[in-house]
Amino acid sequence: MASAMLDRELKKGSAELLILSLVEDRPRHGYDIAQLIELRSHGTLHFNVASLYPLLYRLEKRGWIRGRWVEKAGQRRRRYYRLTPAGKKTLAAQRDGWREFVEAISRITGIQHA
Amino acid sequence: MPDFKDEIRKRLVGLNLSPTRENEIVEELSQHLDDQYEQALQSATTEEEARQAVLLELNENDLLAPALRRVERRISQNPVVVMGTKSKTNLLGDLWQDLRYGLRMLTRNPAFTIVAVIALALGIGANSAIFSVVNAVLLRPLPYKNPDALMTVWEDATHLGFPYNTPSPANFIDWREQNTVFEGMAAMAQRSFNLTGAGEPERFDGRKVSSNLFTILGVEPVLGRNFLPEEDKPGSRVVILSHGVWQRRFGGDTGIVGRALTLNGEAYTVVGVMPGAVDLPSMDNWHDQLWVPIAFTAEEAAGRGNHYLEVIARTKPGVTRQQAQAEMTTIAARLEKQYPAENTRIGIRVRPLHEQLVGDIKPALLVLLGAVAFVLLIACANVANLLLARAAGRQKEIALRLAVGASRSRLTRQFLTESVLLAGLGGLVGLLFSYLGLNILKTFIPPGISQEQAISIDGKVLIFTGLISLVTGLIFGLAPATQASNFGLSETLKEGGRDSSGGSRGNRLRGVLVIGEVAVSFLLLIGAGLLINSFLHLRKLDPGYRADHLLTMKVTLPETKYPDKERRAPFFRELIRRVQTLPGVESVAVASNLPLTYSGDSMPIGVEGRPDPPPDQSPDVILRVVSPGYFHTMGIPMVQGRDISEKDTADAVRVVVISEKAARYFWPGQDPIGKRLKPGSTTSESPWREVIGIVKDVRQNDFVAEPKMQMYMAHEQVGSFAANAVVVRTQVDPLSLGTGVRKVVWEIDKDQPVSDIRSMEEIVSRAVARQRFSMMLFGIFATLALVLASVGIYGVMSYSMAQRTREIGIRMALGAQRKDVLKMAVGQGLKLVLIGVGIGLAAAFVLTRVMASLLFGVSATDPVTFITISIILTGVAVLASYIPAVRAARVDPMVALRYQ
Repeated sequence: MASAMLDRELKKGSAELLILSLVEDRPRHGYDIAQLIELRSHGTLHFNVASLYPLLYRLEKRGWIRGRWVEKAGQRRRRYYRLTPAGKKTLAAQRDGWREFVEAISRITGIQHA
Repeated sequence: MPDFKDEIRKRLVGLNLSPTRENEIVEELSQHLDDQYEQALQSATTEEEARQAVLLELNENDLLAPALRRVERRISQNPVVVMGTKSKTNLLGDLWQDLRYGLRMLTRNPAFTIVAVIALALGIGANSAIFSVVNAVLLRPLPYKNPDALMTVWEDATHLGFPYNTPSPANFIDWREQNTVFEGMAAMAQRSFNLTGAGEPERFDGRKVSSNLFTILGVEPVLGRNFLPEEDKPGSRVVILSHGVWQRRFGGDTGIVGRALTLNGEAYTVVGVMPGAVDLPSMDNWHDQLWVPIAFTAEEAAGRGNHYLEVIARTKPGVTRQQAQAEMTTIAARLEKQYPAENTRIGIRVRPLHEQLVGDIKPALLVLLGAVAFVLLIACANVANLLLARAAGRQKEIALRLAVGASRSRLTRQFLTESVLLAGLGGLVGLLFSYLGLNILKTFIPPGISQEQAISIDGKVLIFTGLISLVTGLIFGLAPATQASNFGLSETLKEGGRDSSGGSRGNRLRGVLVIGEVAVSFLLLIGAGLLINSFLHLRKLDPGYRADHLLTMKVTLPETKYPDKERRAPFFRELIRRVQTLPGVESVAVASNLPLTYSGDSMPIGVEGRPDPPPDQSPDVILRVVSPGYFHTMGIPMVQGRDISEKDTADAVRVVVISEKAARYFWPGQDPIGKRLKPGSTTSESPWREVIGIVKDVRQNDFVAEPKMQMYMAHEQVGSFAANAVVVRTQVDPLSLGTGVRKVVWEIDKDQPVSDIRSMEEIVSRAVARQRFSMMLFGIFATLALVLASVGIYGVMSYSMAQRTREIGIRMALGAQRKDVLKMAVGQGLKLVLIGVGIGLAAAFVLTRVMASLLFGVSATDPVTFITISIILTGVAVLASYIPAVRAARVDPMVALRYQ
C-alpha cells in the first residue's frame, strides 16, 4: 500500500484528472465516483467525503462538469455529474500533460512499464 | 439508520451558504454517507462501529468546511440582491429555480393544470375582451387634433323634456358672435342626398356643415381642400366626400377633385376627400358620407323657432368646460330677455364631444367591466381552492423542505411563483379566448357606438391582460402560499406524514372561499336577472302599432325636382296605387317619419277659442304627416272618429288626427272631434285644422320613454314636412317584397333612390339593441359565474367528503343511515351556500343601485328577481354538494375504516 504521503501528493496533482476521466463516458454520482476510484486503483486511492465533494463543486464551478438532480422510481434523488464540452478539452489537455509527466519520471527513475 | 444530516449541517455552520445551497449539499453528502454506512455495516460488528467509521470520513483532517469555503465563497459573499432589498438570499437564482420547479409541478399534474388554466383563461379572456371595448370606446382619444377641447353646444329645454335640444339657426349665430370662450363654432344639420346620373341612383347620409367645421375638428382632407369661408353662402355648390364613399362609389379615383356630381338634382363640384375617421355624434346609425356647406339663407338665419342644428365648438386654449358653460349661460339669459317668445326658459348646455359620443353606453360598459371582474374573482377562488387541496396533498413535501431548512418565506415564494406561472398560462389562453370572443362580440355591438371599428386587441389590452394575470396569480396564490408556510411542522410530523387533512384551518379557508364564490355569483345573477327582467318588460311594451309584417324604406324626393306638395302628391299617389297591386301586399302608406327613426318634428299648438299659454308652458306635440291608410297599414288603432282619407286633399277642409294623450291634455273631459287647432300658436299664419279622429299613443322617438303627445296631418294638405318613408303591410315575409317595391319606384322615376329597406321589427329591435347588448353579456357572465361557482362548491364538497371517509365509515358502522350521512353532507354544503347567499343579498342591495340607469320597469331591488335568484342559486349549490354526498354515503363502512 502506498504511503499516506504519496496518496496525498498524487491526489493533489491528479484528482481532477481522475474525476474528469470517470465521468467522461457517462454521468455518475459522487458515491459512484468514490467507489470507482477505490475499485480501479485496487484500494490504493481513496477519496473521502470531505475532500471529494469540495473538489466536485470546484470542477462544477469551473464549468468542466455539471451536476443535475435525477429522480428514479423508488430511489432517493441523486446528483449526477457529467462532463461538459469545456471539461472534455481540459481532460484531453490534462491527459497529455500527465502522460508526459509520467514518462519523464520513468525515464529518470528507470522504472519500466510492466 | 443514523441520520447524518445534522452532523453535516453542523460542519456547514459559518459558511454563510444560502438555504437552498446548504440543503443541496446536505442532501448529497448525507446520501453518500448513508451508502457508506450500508457498506460499513457488512464489515463492522456493531452499528455504532459502522457509524463511527462513516463519521471518520466526514472528519478527516477537518477538511470539509475549509474546502467548501474556498469553493463556495463566490456565491455566499456575492449574493444577487434584487433592487431595494438587503436580503442575502439569491433571489434571481431562486426565482429561476422556482420557475423550473413550478413548471415541473404543473406538467406532472396535467389534469389540475388544464382545469385551472381553463378557469383562469375564461375569467381573464372575458376581462380582456370587455376591456378592449372599453379601451376603444371610452379610453381612446377621438381622432381629432387636441380632442379634449372639442365641445358640443345645445339648447337646454329641460322643462319640455329636452335637456340637449338642437338649437335654431338664429340662436346659433348669436352664440357664435357673442361668445369669447370658443376658438370657433360650427353648425351641422343632417341631410340626405340622392346621387343620380352615374349608375344606379343612390341615397347618401350627409350633413350640411359650417365651412369651418373641419378646421375646428383639425381634420385635413386627404385629397383636395376644405371648404372656403366664401363657400358658406346660398347657391354655392361644392361637396366634400368621405373616404368610404370615395373608395366604394368612385373606386378611389385620385382625379375626383373638380368633378361634377348630380346631388338632389343639382350639379355639385367635388372639392375634397376626408380621411377615414370623421366621427360625429348621430342618432340612428347616421353615417356621414358627404358634406356640403350649410349656407343659411337670410330667412333661415333669422329663424329662432326651428330647432334642427348640431353645434360643435373648440374652446380657446386654457378655457375649461366650466368657464365655457358659465359664459354660455350668461348669453342664454341675455337671449331669453331679448326673444321671450322663443327663448323663455331655454338655457345652453356645453358638453364635451367625447362625452356626447360615449355618454349613453358608458354606464353599461362600466357595469359590464365590473361584472367580468367578478367572474375573474370567482375563477380565482376556484383555482385557489384547487391549490389549497393540492397544498394539503403536498404537506409531506412542505414539511420535509421546512425540516431540511427551507425558510417559510422561501416556500411562500415558491408557491406564489407556481400560481403566477399558472395565471400567466391562463392569461395566454385567455388572450386567445378574448380574440375569438371579440369577433363574436362585435357582431352584436349596438349601432351608433363611437369608434366601434377601433375595437381590437392592441398594446394597451396586452398590458392590461398581463397585469390582471399577474394580479390574479398573486390573489389566488396568496391563500395557499400563506397556508402552506403557516402550518405547524411538528403537527404534520406527528401525524406520521399522513396526507389526512389540511388541518381545520385549511377547511375553514376553503369554506370562506366557497362563501365568497356564492356571494359574488349571487351578485352577478341578480344583475343578469334584473337586466333580463328589464328586457322582458321592454319587449312587452305596447309600441302602439303592430311591428310584424311591415316593410319600411326611405324614398326621399329631392326638393329641386319635387319642390312642393303639388308635385310630390302625384308621385306618392301613383306609388301607393302600384304597390297596392303587388302580390303579397295588404296595404301601403307613406309618412314623413317612421317611429323610432329618431327624426321628425314637434311644436306647440294653439287651440281655437283659448288664449295661448306662455311659451315655456306650451308643450310640444310631435307632428307626423301621413297618407290615407297609414293607421290601418301600421296597425295603429283608431279610438274615435275617422281616418285620414283620399278626400282630404289640398283643396278640402284641413284635418288633423290626434293621439289619446293629446286629446286628454287639450280637451280633458270633452269630445275633441270637430274642435280646431293650428301648429305654433293661435296667431300663427298656418290655417286652422279640424280634429277628425283620435288614435292610440305611439312610441315615436323613444321606445323606452312614455309616449309624447302626437298629431297627424294629411300629406296632401301640408306644404313642408314632405313624406319620405314608405310603409307596406305584407302577407308574406316583408323583406321579400323590398326589391319589388324599389322596382315600382324606379318605374315612376328612374333617378329616385330607395334606401334603408328594413322591416319594422328590425327597427324596433335596433331601438333596444343597447339593452339587449347589456343583457346578453351580463347573462353570459352570470352563467359563467354560476358554472364556475358550482364547480367550486362541488370540488370543495368532494374533497371534504373524501377527507371524512373514515368518519363517515365510523358513523355508519355505529348505525347511521345513508340518509343521515346525506343530511349531514348536504347540510354542510347548504350552510356555506346560505351564508354566501346572505352576504350576496346584502351586497346586492347596495351594488345593484349602480345599475339603476340600465333598468327598465324593475327596481334595482326587485323582490321577485331577488327571491328567484336566491332559489336558483341555492338549488344549484345544493345539487353540487349532493352528488359528492351521495358518493360518500354509498361507501362501505369496512372500506372506509381501512381508508388510509
